[in-house]
Amino acid sequence: MLVAIGVVVSAITTAIALLVDWLPEQASEQRAGIDFVFWLTTAICIAIFAIVAAVTIYSVWKFRVRPDDDSDGLPIHGHTGIEIAWTAVPTVLVIIIGVASGIVLARNDRTSADALRVRVTAQQFAWTFQYPNGVSSGTLRLPLDRDVVLELSARDVIHSFWVPQFGQKQDAVPGEVTKLAITPTKVGEYPVICTELCGLGHSLMRTQAVVMEAAKYDAWVRQAGEKASEGAGS
Amino acid sequence: MTVVEHEHAVHAPPASPPTGWRKLLAPGWLRAPWMTALFFGIGVALVLGIRAIAGWDPLWYWPVILTVAFLTTAPIGFLAGIGAFDYWTRYAIGRPTRPEDHSGHGAFSWRDYFRVNTDHKVIGVQYVVTTIFFFLAGGLLAMLVRAELARPGTQFVDPQTYNGLFSVHASLMIFLFVIPAFAGLANFVVPLMLGAPDMAFPRLNALSYWLLPIAGVMMLSSFLIPGGAFAAGWTGYAPLSVVGSDGNIFFQMGVQWAGASSIMTALNFLVTIITMRAPGMTFWRMPLLVWANFTTSLLVVIATPFVAGSQFFALFDRVLGTDFFGPDSGGYVLGYQHIFWFYSHPAVYIMMLPGFGIVSEVISVMARKPIFGYRLMALSLMAILFLGFSVWAHHMFVSGMASWLRVPMMITTLLIAVPTGIKVFSWLATLWEGKLHFTTPMLFALGFVSMFVIGGLSGIYLGAVPIDIHTSDTYFVVAHIHYVLLGGSLFTIFAGIYYWFPKMTGRMYDERLGKLHFWCTFIGFNATFFPMHVIGVQGMPRRVADYAPEFADWNFFISIASFGLGASFMVFIYNMIVSWTRGPRAPGNPWRALTLEWQVTSPPPIFNFDEIPQVVGNPYEYGVPGARHAVLNGDRTPVDERVAAH
Repeated sequence: MLVAIGVVVSAITTAIALLVDWLPEQASEQRAGIDFVFWLTTAICIAIFAIVAAVTIYSVWKFRVRPDDDSDGLPIHGHTGIEIAWTAVPTVLVIIIGVASGIVLARNDRTSADALRVRVTAQQFAWTFQYPNGVSSGTLRLPLDRDVVLELSARDVIHSFWVPQFGQKQDAVPGEVTKLAITPTKVGEYPVICTELCGLGHSLMRTQAVVMEAAKYDAWVRQAGEKASEGAGS
Repeated sequence: MTVVEHEHAVHAPPASPPTGWRKLLAPGWLRAPWMTALFFGIGVALVLGIRAIAGWDPLWYWPVILTVAFLTTAPIGFLAGIGAFDYWTRYAIGRPTRPEDHSGHGAFSWRDYFRVNTDHKVIGVQYVVTTIFFFLAGGLLAMLVRAELARPGTQFVDPQTYNGLFSVHASLMIFLFVIPAFAGLANFVVPLMLGAPDMAFPRLNALSYWLLPIAGVMMLSSFLIPGGAFAAGWTGYAPLSVVGSDGNIFFQMGVQWAGASSIMTALNFLVTIITMRAPGMTFWRMPLLVWANFTTSLLVVIATPFVAGSQFFALFDRVLGTDFFGPDSGGYVLGYQHIFWFYSHPAVYIMMLPGFGIVSEVISVMARKPIFGYRLMALSLMAILFLGFSVWAHHMFVSGMASWLRVPMMITTLLIAVPTGIKVFSWLATLWEGKLHFTTPMLFALGFVSMFVIGGLSGIYLGAVPIDIHTSDTYFVVAHIHYVLLGGSLFTIFAGIYYWFPKMTGRMYDERLGKLHFWCTFIGFNATFFPMHVIGVQGMPRRVADYAPEFADWNFFISIASFGLGASFMVFIYNMIVSWTRGPRAPGNPWRALTLEWQVTSPPPIFNFDEIPQVVGNPYEYGVPGARHAVLNGDRTPVDERVAAH
């Protein structure tokens, strides 16, 4: 009976995990690692939740008594074996999650020397992206399949850069430069969202991240660069 | 116990009630208004005087006037007027004190709840009622937040008001509801459970309580000042809280008053638990509620000064131009977050551990079984206490702090799931082979266990750094904290209120209304907060007044559900008012419990026990033939002697 409840609960939670559209579209290498940890944790959590829910539901159904029942339960004070088990097993499980997270984190932090470096300046309530050739833009344009390092800073208060499809997020802190590695893997337009409360316009502090084919990106950055130098020259 | 000689030899006779204009000088609601005004004037004069002598311009500098006169001296005047300092003032100026005068003790009419009262039972009720008031206020603010979020775009409130709404909502719920509601329940219950006649420092206890309404009124009234309420979230991150509206001062000072109240109460609990246990009450015979408040008090005493410091620094940055957290002149922006979270993560356990204690009491009694693994339960509280101080930077995984700090903080964060898991498994094992009575407190306790498991599991997601990087500052976090604080703390507070309602009021609550309240809250809660996990992971950030149209359907559903959740508390309020005034008389021990508070009448006698109880065994020996927790054999010790003994 207990097992049957456990199976039903895990079936329901697995269905919720699989049928609900949880994670947004995946558009970066780093998101692949994040998704892996997400599903690993989900699998472990479903197992734990199923056990807890099964025991709760079974006990509520099996051990309930009428209000006028004055008898006492079985005086069980503890069980050393079980107590060691439920200390040791969760410890192992969280260490598995910890190790997986540590490996993914190390990979997602990795930046290559020839990465495209984009300076991101956040201010109330706008983003500015500045490219190595001096081009600056209000939209983040990135080439496909190339390592990108964002170097973030803020002019006034703390902001935070997030593109859900890239998974990566990093605060932009006044007076400091923080870094974020992104390797886009899918052409498309994605929202750039400020996720650190930054004042009245916080919810409107949004722009677009556009991932382009490498050739198209090169063409855009060259053209924009020429336009910028013309503007400066005239 | 030894009889302590009173140091002040001069005893004055009990005061006779004042008459005529002298009523204005007696402590109470007549003296409070004019003394508040007087002290406000002193504050203004102080500021203007110093600024005039120093020749600073402008003479009338609003932020300083707010800080000093409105938020510091005027509340001190109120406390002096209401009578919180009378005894100490008399002692300090050498006037006769009245140690044998217990007129400040106990409640004989409803009026006694509205004055400085030194009875821990009265203070407990004062706490609980006050915190429920602020819970309703904070809940109304949440309803306004949800009304605005029901549709994308801006409908009802402007962004400043919106940011103020959720900031004040969170601050009230944390500093004026969850933390002090636990302090209130423990205030009532802990001395009774220990077999003590009161807390160790009854006057300090009264002062702790009266600081609380001051903090609450401060936070609420910040909506009234020009520029609007504090709107940097309850976290009040610098530099936003430094450059934002003057309302931030109300938060920064409100936290000082609430924090001081917390620290004083915690010290009082520690001394009470260490020194005032009845004969035979060893640490390993204490009920788990007492253990829980012992560890919580240690957390409060160690951690709360950090939040006080962080808020003072942020306040000085604004008012004195100190630049502790400004980047331009050597300030350390991330320093605010480190100091703030060094308190505010332990604060999560300050808001959790007393609830663990309540649930242990309720489950053991309602399952008619000893708590499973009592010692491991107590030790896991201590483990949470120690680990709780080593995880603060998991709130800062994306903040730009030293990146090596992330992995060790992740490990400790994940490990804290182990002692927490031990507690959950032990509660479940306590149910096994029990005789379960599904009274309202038991329903809330079981609702807590199941909801807290979900909150704990989503906490593992957030502990894992890569997932946290994706989900931090999204609705996933909002879902997580509400599963932990609403499904967690709030459910345990309700379990505690229903469980001890007969003891506190001497009357029974209505069981049918209690169950109705539980099911409405339980369903409304899940319908409101479970979908937030989904929209958070999908990409909806928190603390936004407007959002992408793709989240419109979910948000509309959540708003409707939240109004249902809000309405469910009306059932609770109705039940409490009607049962308190007209409920059937409660017997001394309606739950057939073994702990000491149930061995006296409901409500208990003015000094709790007519005789000093002798503790002879463990507190949860249900089903063990012939086992007893304490012996009260009917010997009566005259009240005066026992008072002298303390």
